Amino acid sequence: MSARIVMKLKVVEAVATTPEVLRLTLVHPQRPELPSWEPGAHVDLRLPDGRTRQYSLCGDPADRGRYVLAIKREDAGRGGSLWTHNNLVAGAVAHVSQPRNNFGLAADAQRHLLIGGGIGVTPLAAMARRLASTGADFTLHFCARSAEQAPLLPELLALCGDRLRCWFSAEGSRFGPAILGSPDERIHVYACGPQRLTDAVQTGLTAAGWPAERVHVEHFVPMADENYKPEPFDALIASTGAVVHVPADVSLLDVLSQRGFAIPSSCEMGVCGSCECGYRDGTVIHRDVVLPVAKRQDRMMPCVSRARTKVTLEL
Amino acid sequence: MSETSAPRHVEAFVHAAGSLAIGVPGGATGWQGTLLNIHIAPAASYEMEELDEAHCVAGRGIEGDRYFLGTGTYSPKPDTREITLIEQEVLEALARNDPPLQGGPINLAPIDHRRNLTVLGVPLNHLVGRRFQVGEMILRGGRLNFPCKYLEELLGSPVYLPLYNRSGLNCGIERGGIIRPGDPISLVD
Repeated sequence: MSARIVMKLKVVEAVATTPEVLRLTLVHPQRPELPSWEPGAHVDLRLPDGRTRQYSLCGDPADRGRYVLAIKREDAGRGGSLWTHNNLVAGAVAHVSQPRNNFGLAADAQRHLLIGGGIGVTPLAAMARRLASTGADFTLHFCARSAEQAPLLPELLALCGDRLRCWFSAEGSRFGPAILGSPDERIHVYACGPQRLTDAVQTGLTAAGWPAERVHVEHFVPMADENYKPEPFDALIASTGAVVHVPADVSLLDVLSQRGFAIPSSCEMGVCGSCECGYRDGTVIHRDVVLPVAKRQDRMMPCVSRARTKVTLEL
Repeated sequence: MSETSAPRHVEAFVHAAGSLAIGVPGGATGWQGTLLNIHIAPAASYEMEELDEAHCVAGRGIEGDRYFLGTGTYSPKPDTREITLIEQEVLEALARNDPPLQGGPINLAPIDHRRNLTVLGVPLNHLVGRRFQVGEMILRGGRLNFPCKYLEELLGSPVYLPLYNRSGLNCGIERGGIIRPGDPISLVD
């Protein structure tokens, strides 16, 4: 995660798109334009208790005036969707972050195969809008129990026409990755939905010889902090070969300071960016909110971030 | 906005910087400034909201602001953050890419810089350890503000380096009151 502005947006429309899925349209009460986004992006919705939930934007990326979300009521979930269904009615205020995208369309693809299961169709709906508007070649495979339980179905039908293929299990129709055919370097595949669907897509396509870089799957990873338990690890100092041990209850920054490394620091809570340092060879558990995703493969914030077992620091 | 911790402000003239600056002679005098904008945010990362009128409370902050409520990004760290100011002149320098520290001009609007008060004609870097008046409110300059990478990440704009050494002033509120854009600003002592 990295830091993003949170906006108080106004719900201008809240309608049921299926018996379980609420479709929300949000606008900014003061600004005519919301932050721009690309298909596949999601926002964090903040709940009153401070927790956040990620929801994909499913509206038209070309429409800067509104965000559209579709949220499924999960009666057995952790309470976020129930709160949303009960409280986000027209006129209500939703606390929503600026969008972020981990699931973008590949710029070099000549054909896009989108596979959505149930509520997982939401980011693909935004992709389909962009692809349809640019005249790109695509097919959207939509898996659901039935037409009645397929979120956003009428608008997807209108948008995609015969580029929409529905797989309704109640009608005995089931999607299988074999239908995607053999690997083709011009094609990219995107899947979002229940894990058994995304697993089936990844397993099936890998077995058929598709390279991983052309198969994109959206994962919503829970916030790192909810159940985080620090564990000890060792840090190897690249310049000297020294190994320093970081106990579970002490930060890497504190250990380095005790060893005489003059690392600038300020907030010591992963937000100011002062203590950034380089690393290689190791699995770092990033727990800051400031480092951009693109820098996380070789930079870290030692005040809050840690490593699994061991890491080599560029010091 | 989950649990709010009680704000822990360090009194401006007790702060490591403010306490050293009191009584040291120097600094610009005779200036007259103006309050241009007032902004608050309800919690860390929330968009700033512009106010036509703000209620300021001595020893605490602006009613409704994250550092009044204890919900700010830096609220857990004791510091002088009751109210923060930045110069309009700095925003104008960024807009003309002066000095040319980044790729080009940066438009950092008053609603985006995340300091509470945007002021014109006030030499903020001279006011650590000084008392000055904003409308009916009296402020104490506690320390120079320092840019953070967090702002850069929030805004998606490379503001860190160009704000260095002109990032504004963190103040304590000695005498609270109601302030409005247009209020005069002047040195007390």
